[in-house]
Amino acid sequence: MPGSRSARIQVLVAGQAALRGARVGVVDVCTAAVSALPVRGAGVSAMSRTAASHPLCSTDGISERLEELQLTLGEGPCVDAFTHGSAVLVPDLLAGEAHDRWTVFADAALETGARAVFALPLQMGAISPGVLDLYADVPTMLDAGELADAQAFADLATLLLLDARIEETRAPVDRALRGRGSEDLGGYRAEIDQATGMLTVQLGVGIDEAFVRLRAHAYAQGRRLADVAADVVARRLRLPPDTEPQRTDDET
Amino acid sequence: MNQQLLAKTFVELADNLVADFDLIDFLRLLTDRCVGMLDASAAGVLLADRDGELRVMAASDERVRLLELFQLQNDEGPCLECFRTGAPVAITDLPREIDRWPRFVAAAHRSGFGAVQALPMRLRDETVGALNLFHAAPGPFDPVGTLVAQALADVATISLLQQRSTQRSTVLNEQLQNALNSRVLIEQAKGKLAERQGIDMEEAFTALRTYARAHNRRLSDLARAFIDNSEPLPGLAA
Repeated sequence: MPGSRSARIQVLVAGQAALRGARVGVVDVCTAAVSALPVRGAGVSAMSRTAASHPLCSTDGISERLEELQLTLGEGPCVDAFTHGSAVLVPDLLAGEAHDRWTVFADAALETGARAVFALPLQMGAISPGVLDLYADVPTMLDAGELADAQAFADLATLLLLDARIEETRAPVDRALRGRGSEDLGGYRAEIDQATGMLTVQLGVGIDEAFVRLRAHAYAQGRRLADVAADVVARRLRLPPDTEPQRTDDET
Repeated sequence: MNQQLLAKTFVELADNLVADFDLIDFLRLLTDRCVGMLDASAAGVLLADRDGELRVMAASDERVRLLELFQLQNDEGPCLECFRTGAPVAITDLPREIDRWPRFVAAAHRSGFGAVQALPMRLRDETVGALNLFHAAPGPFDPVGTLVAQALADVATISLLQQRSTQRSTVLNEQLQNALNSRVLIEQAKGKLAERQGIDMEEAFTALRTYARAHNRRLSDLARAFIDNSEPLPGLAA
């Protein structure tokens, strides 16, 4: 939907990538978030319940330190956001429960120069590959619009992170898939989610991988994600269990 | 309108707005009661995401065809108009609106519906979604029924704020985000269970809901555990 919040966020992120002269990546979400929100730095960590979590990128030294701290200590807004699946907003690390909740982290974070911390889980239902962390060096409240923007940045980071996994685990699908963003998540959303669940069984893969494969197939076929999902749900389409998506054209 | 049933329904809904509150299960209950009390054939609760797209939070029937009828209204239809204007929309004779909403009217007609209502879910100055009622026969709506429907839409709105929040947050935005994400979880779980058991989406939802209630779990928590394979769930899937 042109003019929508998601569209505006995508433009901001694409702008950052253009400034770098590179394809859109998670780092661009971080730099765009810093430029658009009343925060001084941003970082993303890949999180997992089964494998090790690790920082992916950050915009400055303080962000980098905050990511490391939380993963090393195993406590903090980032960890809680991931565990509970909802945003953890701390307008002031000195006030309220921050100290009770994360005794060691709160002190260590203040020492780095952070005063406000906002942790947003990257998630689509059970797909939860990581967390976006924002910080400010003064007490800060995000208003409703800013919080919605932050969540939109998190959503885009989710897709970019999943896209990156395609390329890590197998031969690259298609470079152009990256940066496609959230534009094709419109349409009949319920079917997209149902099809993803179905594919975990059909392909024998986890939910993240199922979604990646669904999207990869839609793109390879030049079809809208919602339409492919509708076919899967109606059992008109079964995805092949191959690792390579089937292509109808001759792209290299 | 049956006064006793009316009173009983509101007491039942109020009783469910307590600790251990499960939003999706609650909204399903609300849509079921709409069908029971308001002479409606189907009911759904739609919520707008941060892009203003209407998403289905609950419906009295989880069959794919009905869900499509709700989702179709992202492009045209009474719910979209209701959401944009913040005012109720009442269509007593659906076929007459064929030029106004060609796709929606055709799809609703195919599903056997002749009249539609959309009641706004409003919180202070903001419209966050709509309660959508489908009726089989065209014809005027009972004014008392419409008042009750609006009251139920208001209850649905309030329920959004009752969600468990680890930080006791009252920011509506976060509550909406949690609600929408819960629904995604449930849709993913429906798909997985439907595929594994060879059942349809309505049966899958019923199985999940029944299991959640029997084991005193939140639907969304159960959905997550099922998708992640993080715990044995004996009796849910073979």
